[in-house]
Amino acid sequence: MAGNGVSGASGKKSSDMNDLPTFSAEKLQSNMKVIYYSRTFLSIIGGVIAGILGFTGLTGFILYFLVMAVTSVGLIAKARFSVHSYFDCWNRVILDGFVSGLMSFVLFWTFAYDIVHIF
Amino acid sequence: MGLGFVVGVFGVLILAHAAYSTIQYRGLLKIMEEEFSGPPMNVVAELLLGLALCMWAALTVPGKFLSIHPDSEENRIVSLPANLDFMIFNHRGKLFPPEMNLKLKY
Repeated sequence: MAGNGVSGASGKKSSDMNDLPTFSAEKLQSNMKVIYYSRTFLSIIGGVIAGILGFTGLTGFILYFLVMAVTSVGLIAKARFSVHSYFDCWNRVILDGFVSGLMSFVLFWTFAYDIVHIF
Repeated sequence: MGLGFVVGVFGVLILAHAAYSTIQYRGLLKIMEEEFSGPPMNVVAELLLGLALCMWAALTVPGKFLSIHPDSEENRIVSLPANLDFMIFNHRGKLFPPEMNLKLKY
């Protein structure tokens, strides 16, 4: 006996006449958490690689953008290319953990560079 | 999740090994008094392999994506409970126009 739009924690309510898209906000949040963990881990790994390779300056950031682009493609592939059944807009998959990942990247980049090249 | 975790740890170990070989390579360069232009080719190959393994682990370990549509297959909340004594069917819901095929699932 499923009524209209009865789910645990709905994002928005839907009326019969104009059907607003409903989605379950808790599932969206869990998907966002998955993206966040993936991006953070890969920023750290990217930072370590940039440090080992001895990049200084702009080249390192180019590596970061490259790693983030490949991560975005990987996440879209993980969502089996039907992004709208797991997220409400494309920006979440592509842009979400970008800036916080940048901080972790720079931290581990300088860390690895110091360990490998200076000490 | 276990396999992804092991693959991730393996990738990190490969990166650590690559870092160690780069440190030794730099030591060697210091002895020969040359400039460090880039790590040797096998270190670069090792880094790429470690990156590939970590990327695979980062995409599979954190968990699956859950569908956010309330009417997709895995989100169905319709199921017949074991106790039918308290279920009534003579309510106002019969006035709603039936929109979709309700599938029963035990």
